[in-house]
Amino acid sequence: FGLEAGSWTNAHQPIFSVDIHPDGTKFATGGQGQDSGKVVIWNMSPVLQEDDEKDENIPKMLCQMDNHLACVNCVRWSNSGMYLASGGDDKLIMVWKRATYIGPSTVFGSSGKLANVEQWRCVSILRNHSGDVMDVAWSPHDAWLASCSVDNTVVIWNAVKFPEILATLRGHSGLVKGLTWDPVGKYIASQADDRSLKVWRTLDWQLETSITKPFDECGGTTHVLRLSWSPDGHYLVSAHAMNNSGPTAQIIEREGWKTNMDFVGHRKAVTVVKFNPKIFKKKQKNGSSTKPSCPYCCCAVGSKDRSLSVWVSFGGKRDLTLNGLGILVCSMDGSVAFLDFSQDELGDPLSEEEKSRIHQSTYGKSLAIMTEAQLSTAVIENPEMLKYQRRQQQQQLEQKSASTRETGSATSVAGVVNGESLEDIRKNLLKKQVETRTADGRRRITPLCIAQLDTGDFSTAFFNSIPLSGSLAGTMLSSHSSPQLLPLDSSTPNSFGASKPCTEPVVAASARPAGDSVNKDSMNATSTPAALSPSVLTTPSKIEPMKAFDSRFTERSKATPGAPALTSVTPTAMERLKEQNLVKELRPRDLLESSSDSDEKVPLTKPSSLSKRKLELEVETVEKKKKGRPRKDSRLMPVSLSVQSPATLTAEKEAMCLSAPALALKLPIPGPQRAFTLQVSSDPSMYIEVENEVTVVGGVKLSRLKCNREGKEWETVLTSRILTAAGSCDVVCVACEKRMLSVFSTCGRRLLSPILLPSPISTLHCTGSYVMALTAAATLSVWDVHRQVVVVKEESLHSILAGSDMTVSQILLTQHGIPVMNLSDGKAYCFNPSLSTWNLVSDKQDSLAQCADFRSSLPSQDAMLCSGPLAIIQGRTSNSGRQAARLFSVPHVVQQETTLAYLENQVAAALTLQSSHEYRHWLLLYARYLVNEGFEYRLREICKDLLGPVHYSTGSQWESTVVGLRKRELLKELLPVIGQNLRFQRLFTECQEQLDILRDK
Amino acid sequence: MAKVSVLNVAVLENPSPFHSPFRFEISFECSEALADDLEWKIIYVGSAESEEFDQILDSVLVGPVPAGRHMFVFQADAPNPSLIPETDAVGVTVVLITCTYHGQEFIRVGYYVNNEYLNPELRENPPMKPDFSQLQRNILASNPRVTRFHINWDNNTDRLEAIENQDPSLGCGLPLSCTPIKGSLPGCIPGLLPENSMDFI
Repeated sequence: FGLEAGSWTNAHQPIFSVDIHPDGTKFATGGQGQDSGKVVIWNMSPVLQEDDEKDENIPKMLCQMDNHLACVNCVRWSNSGMYLASGGDDKLIMVWKRATYIGPSTVFGSSGKLANVEQWRCVSILRNHSGDVMDVAWSPHDAWLASCSVDNTVVIWNAVKFPEILATLRGHSGLVKGLTWDPVGKYIASQADDRSLKVWRTLDWQLETSITKPFDECGGTTHVLRLSWSPDGHYLVSAHAMNNSGPTAQIIEREGWKTNMDFVGHRKAVTVVKFNPKIFKKKQKNGSSTKPSCPYCCCAVGSKDRSLSVWVSFGGKRDLTLNGLGILVCSMDGSVAFLDFSQDELGDPLSEEEKSRIHQSTYGKSLAIMTEAQLSTAVIENPEMLKYQRRQQQQQLEQKSASTRETGSATSVAGVVNGESLEDIRKNLLKKQVETRTADGRRRITPLCIAQLDTGDFSTAFFNSIPLSGSLAGTMLSSHSSPQLLPLDSSTPNSFGASKPCTEPVVAASARPAGDSVNKDSMNATSTPAALSPSVLTTPSKIEPMKAFDSRFTERSKATPGAPALTSVTPTAMERLKEQNLVKELRPRDLLESSSDSDEKVPLTKPSSLSKRKLELEVETVEKKKKGRPRKDSRLMPVSLSVQSPATLTAEKEAMCLSAPALALKLPIPGPQRAFTLQVSSDPSMYIEVENEVTVVGGVKLSRLKCNREGKEWETVLTSRILTAAGSCDVVCVACEKRMLSVFSTCGRRLLSPILLPSPISTLHCTGSYVMALTAAATLSVWDVHRQVVVVKEESLHSILAGSDMTVSQILLTQHGIPVMNLSDGKAYCFNPSLSTWNLVSDKQDSLAQCADFRSSLPSQDAMLCSGPLAIIQGRTSNSGRQAARLFSVPHVVQQETTLAYLENQVAAALTLQSSHEYRHWLLLYARYLVNEGFEYRLREICKDLLGPVHYSTGSQWESTVVGLRKRELLKELLPVIGQNLRFQRLFTECQEQLDILRDK
Repeated sequence: MAKVSVLNVAVLENPSPFHSPFRFEISFECSEALADDLEWKIIYVGSAESEEFDQILDSVLVGPVPAGRHMFVFQADAPNPSLIPETDAVGVTVVLITCTYHGQEFIRVGYYVNNEYLNPELRENPPMKPDFSQLQRNILASNPRVTRFHINWDNNTDRLEAIENQDPSLGCGLPLSCTPIKGSLPGCIPGLLPENSMDFI
């Protein structure tokens, strides 16, 4: 059956786009509102069930947003359903997210309007297009959002980091009016008024192919050209193609982009094509033993002839049927129709798992490698696992209910905050509010903050107005506020149904349930005459002057600068409304006749032809520039370079080989200074003062070393001039002329007799009780002065510096006495004392780091901020996201390999640096990735090593700790991670059992 | 998109004698922290005939405004009777609350105000010279008329384009007396319903 959304509202504004939420519980429409664009989110159940439609307690409209300044052309849910993107004539794309903490509300001053049952908040506004945004589309994995516009471009946004732009696809010479992603994520296709359909690669965002032939005959324009890609990825179906002067929807095969088939039958241009996101399989009929048929897809085609056709299956017959499974269509008359079909007609939809299997078998990968659905089919084999899984589910449930409770209490924020009712607060607000005078004597009121906006998901309302700075503060605040809210929960025991929070009044003041008022309001607004109006305003004579006031309400006061007010708006808006009503009455209400998604725009005419021409010109010039010389030049450049460089390189090398190798490495030596002061890095209150040749005792010059720490001071004298000094919280050391190195305790006591260095000092460094000396001859030594042992003995830097003109840009000595050299080429090496080797721990140019994508394995955002030597060396570059997103189009296997390699590097580097904290961090991350991606062997090996031999044996080489961490404790931390993937339940059980045995021993 | 949206305006102490101050409790939401203060004004329209008789009762700066929901009470003295034309003293007029940011008005909330003698005798035979001390001011609190203007919230981008939104129900030109009281409560959040929403009955 069909249902008109229009019947729920008063306005009959055109609707240009509709999209069903992935979970099927709601849908969004976008179109023209009152002098603005309008996005409305509707409840799906009244559309699906007649009973729900009649039930006044079930809200039909969930939320409406008037934020777009002009007509909304497209609304699209993200695949996760978390976000809604809308694009409109105001050149903007808005991304919406549901705000969980606010309850129902209305738009102030719009008396007749319905309450917003859900709150959707605009989280990002994307500005880049110079013209109307015609279509938006989320990539299959929600990492990208594409938008197209009458400015002839397609823009790819980084959906992980709005408003970052990843690419702007230029090439269309006409208004781009439709977009669709390849379900496998390898391509994106766009269709434009320039009579072409272009397919772009997501690998490099370059043009894969441009298809023009089926559109050659096309005349006239349509408002939109919404093309669609079949969910199996095989076919792309265009809008508005022509075949033998008949309008068609062209089918383009992925294989070779062949255009041999089309959908015919419409009398006017096809404007919209939409595939059902599900793949279907024909139901097996009773009796007849037909073998299971091939999976097929289903698509709907909408046309300007105001009709809609639904097609199934490409493989076999192509017939015009009116089959489908739940199609929503919207049209110019402001109505939305729903067509509901039985599964008998269409067949069984395949699950997401089966779908991804098809993708995997066809394309070698799928965007959803491990779906929930796949997991749910696994059988839980042991009770421990079951318990664990149950516990997890329960936790999730608790979290969920906590969040709903939180929403609940937040809704009642109006009622109670911090134990003080809002009524009380309001009574005293005038007295309480802070009022000051500005310098020029004006009154200034500090408003009372009654709720924070939610930046995250569960940030709740709280009371004191603390200015927010950045999201970090936001999360801090929210974590502070949640405990405060707990007692509130108990006082208002869970009175909120998550599905319809409005039906139960929380605060006595809201005497009427919102759901109820919704309907009454809409009725009253139109039908109820004056009967209720108060005695105050009865005299008819008074109506005349009141009309005179009208302009006062709408015109800006003259005192305020700005544009002149537009008084004409009201009448035109009214006329428009009337017109549409008329049109609506005339139009047959046959639902199947209502044209789909959109038609040409009537009320909003724009100077598109003019601007279009301008844009085309611009594009042309840009293209010319591109095609012209610059490109040639850039191609020549590297060639000439590569010709040049080998020669110079070899020349250099030869020169180096010829000259004495010892000379090749000569590190700078600090020159003698008269006096200097040195801040000991870790402790700001500690500094060293050096004065050379201050005292002369019997003709001997002495140098003085002073150390000041938290006000305590000590000093000592040395016989030769001090070249450089260093200190830590444990030791102070100075290097003097004649290659002497002296070490003192924090109180100034000499710890060692002077050490004679093999060559003059270059750099001196202290961390803890470790002293590191780098000499001019590029040898490195590290001693532990407390234990009086050598950690690194005169190790040459030749191996890491030789053969190039690199320099040491940064030197680091870790808490464990591991020296790390950061070189000018971005590489960092640390010396491994036990192996006597230089190990590469970081490389800025490391492509692995840029390609690795382990975001899915990150426990949370802040966990990324793991501090330690490795983080210091590598710098906290979180570029993994972006590069990884780019790499998404390489085979998943490659992606996995690079990620694994990167994570393993990190674990190993942390281990070499003996940074236990970071080792744990990366090991857990690595394990999580292994679990998510299903790498059993490596995971098993890790577990085996961490577990060690259960039964003690003398021959065992197993160490129970690694970088100071107990391995079995690490394993215990790992177990819950392993338990998340049912596939590893055996491993989980094994480890669990063995740990239990060990514990019992 | 407007950074500040008004959630509710509650008219406090209504109805009240002519000479008592106006009090509005204003709740608004700010989507991102504002660099500068908001300026709120209460304008009393002395006569429908001309803007000449408008009186700015008061103007206040409100700030700082971080992101979030906020409220404050705006109190302003009653209009100066001597500036009101005698013929317009009794009857319906308008009070406006406007808010500007960087000198640009982005919202205007208007209320009809009825000034009336309580005494039936005076009502029947109003004195030639209005007796303001006997007048009662009644603000039609349940029926605010809200006009929103699109302004430039940042300093850099270009200036406003058009009126963003207008009260739709009244935009249709319904006579004021037709507006149902019951169905048009401006209340937003449960619990923030104005205390005086029943003030006419």
